[in-house]
Amino acid sequence: MQIEQKSWKDPVLIAMVAPLAIVMVVFFLIPLLMTAVLTFQTTQYYRLSWTWNLKIWTEVFSKPHYWTIMLRTVGMAVVCVLLCVLIAYPAAYAMATRLKSYKTQIQILIIFAFLTDAVLKTFGWILILDKNGVANWLLMHIGFPPEMLNLLFSPAGTMIGMVYNLVTYPMFTIYLSLVRIDRDLVLAAYDAGASRLRTFFEVTLPLSRPGLYSGAVLVFVLSLGAFLEPRVLGGGTSPLASELIRQSFETRVNWPLGAALTLVLIAIGALTLAVSAALTLRRRPNQRSAA
Amino acid sequence: MKKGTADIGNTFGSIGRRSVLKGMGGLGLAAVAGNFLASRDARAAESLNYMCWEGYNAPSILEPFQKQKDASISIDLITDSAGGFAKLAAGASRDFDLVSSDSPWIQRMGPAGFCRFIDEADFAGQFAEFYPQFRAPFAPLAFEGKATGLPTRWGWVGPTVNTKFDKLETWSSYAPVFDSAYKDKICLLDWGDWPIMPLALYAGINPYEELDEAALEEVRKVLRAAFKNTRAIVADLAVAQKGLIDGSFRALIGGGTYATSALRMKGHDYIQSIVPEPKNGLKQGIIWMEATGLIDNGKNSQIAADFLKYIVSPEVAKQLAITEATCNLVPNSKAEALFSEEEKKALQMDYMWTAWDNSQFHTVAPNIDDMLAIWQEELAAR
Repeated sequence: MQIEQKSWKDPVLIAMVAPLAIVMVVFFLIPLLMTAVLTFQTTQYYRLSWTWNLKIWTEVFSKPHYWTIMLRTVGMAVVCVLLCVLIAYPAAYAMATRLKSYKTQIQILIIFAFLTDAVLKTFGWILILDKNGVANWLLMHIGFPPEMLNLLFSPAGTMIGMVYNLVTYPMFTIYLSLVRIDRDLVLAAYDAGASRLRTFFEVTLPLSRPGLYSGAVLVFVLSLGAFLEPRVLGGGTSPLASELIRQSFETRVNWPLGAALTLVLIAIGALTLAVSAALTLRRRPNQRSAA
Repeated sequence: MKKGTADIGNTFGSIGRRSVLKGMGGLGLAAVAGNFLASRDARAAESLNYMCWEGYNAPSILEPFQKQKDASISIDLITDSAGGFAKLAAGASRDFDLVSSDSPWIQRMGPAGFCRFIDEADFAGQFAEFYPQFRAPFAPLAFEGKATGLPTRWGWVGPTVNTKFDKLETWSSYAPVFDSAYKDKICLLDWGDWPIMPLALYAGINPYEELDEAALEEVRKVLRAAFKNTRAIVADLAVAQKGLIDGSFRALIGGGTYATSALRMKGHDYIQSIVPEPKNGLKQGIIWMEATGLIDNGKNSQIAADFLKYIVSPEVAKQLAITEATCNLVPNSKAEALFSEEEKKALQMDYMWTAWDNSQFHTVAPNIDDMLAIWQEELAAR
């Protein structure tokens, strides 16, 4: 305890922490505070009017459509997390265990996916998902009726774009967790008579959980701010929070409203993450005692 | 990108280092280029800060002026007229010399207090070259009898139709937007108030007048009905144009000539924008106009006024009319002689005064925020 108290007064430690602390205060805390202050103002004739009141918050809490969009955003983000994890885990597992000889090539491909501009990738999906796009063309050539898929300008189209753009994040984090698992633990499970499936669920999966969680958190946070996919692939069928915020700031020039909706989105995101973290931490002691 | 963890860095160490080195190289080049540009700016005798839409910043427009006047022009592109105005109103007006935006926002610089009004006598030569409809005194750009800017580009908003699939007569009214035969074949352009205004006019509401609750409810009903039949609400012009050409959209609503002329210029002359017939005494078309205004930034340089004269001159107006992304009409009548027959056809110049006569002039509607809020609410419920 004494050591900790002393460490906070250590000038070397303070000097080391200070640059990051200053950056966080100047570029995160102060702007966040300014955003909060903005929500208590109003706009008049497209100009900000410094009149302290609760008008914007009254509007936010009295208009259900804001909450419809917020809830839809959270729902889409949760589904996106599930799909990304379901796709990423087997791929990362294969990379870490079965495809070691192609590891470098696969890593390069994933890095390319990271480096390719999201705008380009998202617009590329139009050519695939359109009624007369590549997907329907292929299906038609293998015997399905023409224009069978109608995914462009639908919530499904938005989800495809989101998953495609974000799936590489959990793929990376899960892969990094898997390659760090001590192979001897897996072999010990086999020696103890565990089947491959039981070994996976009782050794590999729990030990890869940090990568799984960090990937899921990354996807969730980025999904909450998804802007491009609903705008390009959704066609107005699945407006999400970021578009609502853009409209408030840009089209309606209602900065206090945009700021309030931004804070609501941040709060929802933080609350969801806090709840999921609490649930995760609560499960661990139980598992230990069960073990 | 957001992948920078120590673990990942170790795993992909060599590639990471190469990326970092490449990045540093890029930064170095950027720094050199920045220094070069800075030194070029420093060499120029005068400088202009110009806020504008894309197209006004074409090198073919800016460079001759910069050379002629030994000036450097810094550009700030706007993507939304209201957003650009809000930026100026928030204090950026002190940093800019002139702005090209949608005309209602240039007019609004007057009451906002940062407009450098146009001396009509000084600009008499420019006004004389305009079509009579745009000559001084030009009400849409006037505030308290003074001109807030000069018109630079214009066009009309009406249904944009692919005549390979539909006859133009079909779109002499907005009725097909609500017709079940056109279900999932309509595209609304997600361009702020632009799709709202024509639909309100179709509902018998003049959105440019002060609206009461009953009128706003009518706007809500017409938007709800339109959303039911609409396949997509699209913000990207290229996506909308692609759908129109391949027939997956039968009409674009909210765009008009801005969405049409560039396609026609590329040979798709079967794409046309028309203005529907007046309905219940209300003109159904809308004239949009871009304008350029001088900003009262305390310096009020002569070079800004010179640039305004330059940008409305016939030769520059012609360049401004035909850009890669969009093609639009210009108010300078002398520019008409510079267009080829193909260009005139692409711009639908034979139809422009018919459209003018059957249209409202676009201004900032008194209830625009109410209507945008209704748009948001109905979109959320879609």
